[in-house]
Amino acid sequence: MANEIWVFIERTSQGEMAGVSKELLGKARELADANGMKVGALILGAGVGDLANAAFAYGADTAYVVDDGALAQYTTDAYVGAAAALAKKYQPALILTGASFQMRDFSAALAAELDTGVAADSTNVSIENGAVSAVRSSHGGNVINTLTFAPGKTAVVSVRKQSFPEPQPNPGRSGAVVTEAMPGVPMRAKVVSVAPKQGAVNLADAAIIVSGGRGLGSPENYYKLIPPLAEAVGGAYGASRAIVDAGWVPYEHQVGQTGKTVSPKLYMAIGISGAIQHLAGMRSSRTIVAINKDPDAPIFRVATYGVVGDANEIVPLLTEEIKKRTGK
Amino acid sequence: MHIVVCMKQVPRDNSVKINADLTINADGIEQIMNLFDEYAVEEALQWNEKLGGKVTVLSIGPEDWKEQIRRALAMGATDSLLLSDPAFTNLDTFGAARVAAAAIKKLGDVDLVLGGRNSTDDETGAFAPALARLLGWTQLTYVGKIVSLESGKIVAERHLEEVIETVEASLPAVVTVVKGINEPRYPSLLRIRKVAKVEIPTWSAADLGLSAADLTPALKLVNRVPPPPRPKGEMIEGKDAAEKVKKLVDKLMEAQVI
Repeated sequence: MANEIWVFIERTSQGEMAGVSKELLGKARELADANGMKVGALILGAGVGDLANAAFAYGADTAYVVDDGALAQYTTDAYVGAAAALAKKYQPALILTGASFQMRDFSAALAAELDTGVAADSTNVSIENGAVSAVRSSHGGNVINTLTFAPGKTAVVSVRKQSFPEPQPNPGRSGAVVTEAMPGVPMRAKVVSVAPKQGAVNLADAAIIVSGGRGLGSPENYYKLIPPLAEAVGGAYGASRAIVDAGWVPYEHQVGQTGKTVSPKLYMAIGISGAIQHLAGMRSSRTIVAINKDPDAPIFRVATYGVVGDANEIVPLLTEEIKKRTGK
Repeated sequence: MHIVVCMKQVPRDNSVKINADLTINADGIEQIMNLFDEYAVEEALQWNEKLGGKVTVLSIGPEDWKEQIRRALAMGATDSLLLSDPAFTNLDTFGAARVAAAAIKKLGDVDLVLGGRNSTDDETGAFAPALARLLGWTQLTYVGKIVSLESGKIVAERHLEEVIETVEASLPAVVTVVKGINEPRYPSLLRIRKVAKVEIPTWSAADLGLSAADLTPALKLVNRVPPPPRPKGEMIEGKDAAEKVKKLVDKLMEAQVI
């Protein structure tokens, strides 16, 4: 096992290094310094040479690069093939990736290819006496698990965005570039087209989310009350499973066990009783506001501020008051 | 076409407790078919209606998991398979993938494996990718639409966070689906009665030629705790809605969240 921690470098649609990769390089640097290790940046793609310098600025010592047309777009076969060949040759102790859908696909397949395990969607990672541990939640956030990897195998950990702070870059830092050729692996899938998602809402990235539920009474009330309040606070709007399943709001907006897990700085739950499946998706929000007619609604048990009352009366007043006070 | 659907039984909600030995205690919580797997069953049935062949619903678990297998049979699955062995009790995701891979290899004639994007209890989403690598097949995860399926080829839309990726892949393949790909049917009473006595084939670790090493978790669970409790909240009182709203906005501005 080499004494290295690798970070898979993700790109934004503009080709720049993604925020989560910066966060992971910062964490890798911290772990490496504390354990006498080195940081490697795993850079796969077509025309990605520039990323090595960005990775050095954020803390990498070495960039492991496969630059090949076969990697122009993500496919599991090409990316896992290239990463596994590098990892088998250089034997890093730990590989960190983000936890987007694409990275969940990649990290799990890579771990299987390396005959190791994966800690998926983790929120912390540590190394003690050479053993890698990761913390991840399960059961809708009701269970926090700490898992330790067997020594002697590469640990693979996918990490939830914003688990670690983004470090300050040091543009003067430099490092070594190791370039490898694309290995010959079977390519059984090809991307035919990529289209932006209609009405995509990235709830996971929103700092403020205003969600509505069945207590609003009708889809008309939802659209009359929730998006305007979301707009007034500069947030995105979400929904409970009940009203998504009833067809009021598209699935994209669903928060909870079978929807999105979110932890914004402010979550407003309006006319949502707080079924355990819903709480699972939002209970780690920093501040929670609940507005509900029923004073015994379970949502009040997790709320930072609770208001008992009719949403149809309160929300328009709230939207106006916020606009007036914040000058928006 | 032979489609295998990997199905997991999970607690209806996640208000589980943690036992002293760190296992999960879901006593008193109804067990249901993992919601995402229900979409996989429905998708398999719809393609089976068009293409013919078999739909085998496969699950790993104790005998009482047969209840959800029967539900899938009542929905219309043609075949079933339970992989059950005391040695499977503490499987992790990759161990489960090794068990399923051994069974799918033994079935031999499988063209497509379908499953949900993740289970709602463990939430790793790693089972299907691991299964695909163990089988040596390719994988398409987070599929929101199967555009076409024919002998040797699948075209599907992967519904990612911000884009829809249309991918063409050769079969056999492992595919996971997201909520909303279809509207799962309810099993009819007639079919529920019809499958109530169907014999569900059961294979053990020995039937699958699996050793203890195949079943050993790759990661060791060293700690398991409930999340820290949320700080106690505050009810905003007032003589009318306007006063409550004003006080709430005061609080939110004080806390600098708006």
